Order: sequence, then C-alpha cells, then structure tokens
Amino acid sequence: MTGDDQKLDVVLEICGISPLPQDKEIMLKNFVTAREQAALLWGVAEARYEEPGLIFSAKL
Amino acid sequence: MNEYLTISDALDGLRENEITATELVEKAIETGKSLDDELGIYIARYDEHAREAAAAADAVYAAGDEPGLLQGIPLGIKDIITTVEGETTAQSLVLDRSWGPAIGDAVVVQRMRDAGGVITGKTTTMEYAIGVPDWTKPFPIPRNPWNTEHWTGGSSSGTGNGVAAGAFLGGLGTDTGGSIRIPAAYCGISGIKATFGRVPKSGCVPLGYSLDHIGPMARSARDCAIMLQVLAGYDPSDACAVDAPVPDYLSGLTGDLTGLRVGVDTLAQHVGDDGDPATVAALQAAVSVLSELGATVTELALPYYAELNVATRVTSRSEAFAYHVPDFRSRWGDYFQSTRTGVGSAVAFTGADFVQAQRVRRVGQKAVAALFADVDVIVTPTASIGALSLEELGDLGGGWFRSMHTSYWNAVGNPALSVPMGFTAAALPLGMQIVTRPFDEATGLKVGEAYQRATRWHLAVPPLAGRYDVAVRDQGDLTDTAA
Repeated sequence: MTGDDQKLDVVLEICGISPLPQDKEIMLKNFVTAREQAALLWGVAEARYEEPGLIFSAKL
Repeated sequence: MNEYLTISDALDGLRENEITATELVEKAIETGKSLDDELGIYIARYDEHAREAAAAADAVYAAGDEPGLLQGIPLGIKDIITTVEGETTAQSLVLDRSWGPAIGDAVVVQRMRDAGGVITGKTTTMEYAIGVPDWTKPFPIPRNPWNTEHWTGGSSSGTGNGVAAGAFLGGLGTDTGGSIRIPAAYCGISGIKATFGRVPKSGCVPLGYSLDHIGPMARSARDCAIMLQVLAGYDPSDACAVDAPVPDYLSGLTGDLTGLRVGVDTLAQHVGDDGDPATVAALQAAVSVLSELGATVTELALPYYAELNVATRVTSRSEAFAYHVPDFRSRWGDYFQSTRTGVGSAVAFTGADFVQAQRVRRVGQKAVAALFADVDVIVTPTASIGALSLEELGDLGGGWFRSMHTSYWNAVGNPALSVPMGFTAAALPLGMQIVTRPFDEATGLKVGEAYQRATRWHLAVPPLAGRYDVAVRDQGDLTDTAA
C-alpha cells in the first residue's frame, strides 16, 4: 500500500464508509486530486485574514 | 412561420387567439411521448394534470381576464424540485420517496403555477444533480437532440434537451457548478443562474447549500427574463434567500447596448489544446456583434481562476457529503458510481480546508468586484468544447471538467447567463456566458436579448425536435447565421 492508500483507508473508516472494491481505484485518484486541490487553496495567502461567509443566520 | 416557438411567441399567440393553451400542451405531450425514449427527457410525465391546467389557462384567456406571465406555457421541472403531482426521485434509488410529497410544491413551482404555467412533468438529471449517467441504474440516459451519441451536459439534462427538442417551451434547472449553463450550452438553448439568493431554493434537494441556484432554461434570453420575473424574490423558507427588490426585467430589453462596457476572457489559456478552436472563433464573432450593437469591448483576465473553481469543488463536495454521509454508510452501492466516488472524495478535505475555501471565495468576490469597476459585463465561453460523447464521460475526475467555465461564478455568486453562439465543426452547439454584478441580472438579460435580436443561433432546430406549426410574429431581417 502507498501512503495515500493508508490515509484514505483511515479517513473512510473514521467516516464509517466502506466503498465497493470497484470504487477503490477511483476513490484513491479522487483523494490524491482533492489533496492537491486543497493545497492550491492554501496558496491563497491573502485569504488568511478574510472573514469567511458560512451558512448561518440567527434568524430562523 | 417559425417552427420553433419561444415562450414569448407562444404568449403572443395565446393573447391574440392564434393558438390555445390546450393546443400548445397537446403538442408538448405529443413531442414528449415521441422523443422521450430516444432522448431521455422525463422521469415522469403529468399529461392529465397538464391538460387540466391548459384548460384552466384557456378559460382565463377566453374570459378576457389578465393572464399570468406564463399563462398556458408548458414547462418541465428538474426532478430534484418538488411538485404536488408526484414524488421527487433526484434520479436516485436512495432518496426517500416520501420527502417530496411531504413538501408539496417548491416555492418556485408554486410561483410558476400562480403565473399560469403548465407543468408537463419531471425531467432527468444526474443522480442528486452530480456526476454522470450510469447505465447500471434503472433511469433514463439523457441524450443530446443535436446528436444522440452525445451527452446533454448536466445536471439539468432533461430540462435542457426537453427545451431544445420542444417537449416544453421552458423549464427549471438547478446550478451548483454549471448545471443550468452547461446543458444550455450543449443543447443550444439559453439559461440563467441568477445571483445567489435571488431565487428561493427551498423544496429542492440540496447539493451544495451555499452554491445551489434554481433558474430558468428556455429558448431565448427574453424567455429567461419572463421566467425569472416569476421566480425571483425573497421567501423566508430559504435561509439563503436575499430580500432585495426585483426589477422589471422585460422593460430593460431594449436591444440598445450603447455605452455598455464589455470585458472578454476567452479562457483559452486554461484549457490549452483541449479546447475546440471553434469556441474562440465563435466568441470573437459574438463579441463583434455586441460591439456593433454599441458596446465597447476590452480584454481582461479572470482573477483566481483555478483557485475559485477549486473553492467551488471543495465547498460543493463537503456540503454534499454532509447531506449524504448517513446514506453512504448504509447504501453506498445504491448510489451511482460517479456520485458516491465524487461526493465521497470530500473525505480528503479537513474542516480547515472548507473554511479556507470560504475565505478564498471572499478574496475572489472582492477581486471580481474590482473588475466590475471597469466593465459592466464579462463574457466568456460557457465551455470550451461542444457536448462530449457519452463514451468520453468516464467519471467525474475526467480532464474534460476543466473545459467548463461555469463553477467560477458559483464561488462568487454573480449572475451568469448562457446563450447559444454557434456550433463546432461537428454541428454541436456552443454557448456564450454573460456575467454581471450581483443582483444585476437585468443587464445580462439585456445583453443576451440584444445579441439574439441580431443572431439566430437560439432559433436553430436540432435534428430531433417537435415542430410547433403555429403562426407567430415575423422574425424580421435577422442575420441568417445559424448553421
């Protein structure tokens, strides 16, 4: 197993998800891509002091 | 004679007693029946309900009462939006079939019904509005009426191919990363994602809570304006809805673009050799038309292009994962493979990644707002290629995804309209995306409508389509540019 394989297995177990065998290859590819994408976001250093818009309103 | 009715044409015909709503709806039913097997338009048709609504519309016209803005117009509803006529499936084996009926009409459906619209049925989508078709599941495969070996685009697939084929004259799509604009472009019709919060989305199965939009898909920008007039406006049932005044969209459709400042980004640098060369040529020709109509044109580059597309992906996957994770634990195999592996990829993101995505969206909003200090409208291709063949789709990780230029605008929330602007060498439609400042849908619709006064791309009829043999107003001396 590669390091990414092991990381994916860990997060899937944490989330309680058991993919089908035929999904493993796609899941691994998506996992690696997703980590690369997250890294791209962290490259936007000027976002550090932004107040994020999040889904909440005190008004029901 | 125009065989391809717009909503605007049909309303003219209804007001002038040249056609009845019953005739219109019967034609829509006939077209739906004859093409549904081949095109995969519908999940469910509501023929008898539609006939009853058409008869009621005819009574309004016969009595001389003031008709609603959509009185007697046949309309399709994407099957992730609830209606009273039947269940909502989200084209999934997983969604609880009692969920939709418990809600009844979504706010947008009720508004269309109040305006006299005739609901013809629920249209196909991708499962839960994400992913690609799955041949292993018991649902129709939506096909493109321009070439049935090609996809419609998604996820508002059945509304897209249904409008293009004439199964109804307009319909509702939803758009989290481009799901109105991509099928509009691929099927050769018009469609608008309004500003986030402009149209209430309660009664719609969520995909990305902070990205989802419901909006109109129709033949022309004018038709989209008519529909958006009905759909727009605050409703407290949607926590994201914004209480902002809704302008008169139709009165702004003057055809005059004098003084309008248009910024253009071909986005070719982001797709490289994967783009179809016809796209850039078509966009340049379209921009020339805008210039001839009085606009001043400048080139620009969209800031944070890759980052904002990724922000949409991180946000939509994370928000969707939160919705689906209980069912993923127990019914993983019941989902389409592209849905479960696409949404499931959110396990790779941390909570901090999600927050960073929201902060990047703020940075992007400010950068885009700065662009709009110098221009009134931004135009790009909706996608850099025509509709993909169904064989090419694969899973959601396909490289083709970067040829779509829509999800950027979901990240920042601006309104974005797609209108037909030409064809590829393989005779597949191409779309131009017209973007304006938040809550300024009126300017985008004005540009789209003015463009369509000068061109005929939006009136091109695909090989598979029902014909409406109805006399309508003369289309005038439009440039015969449609291939």
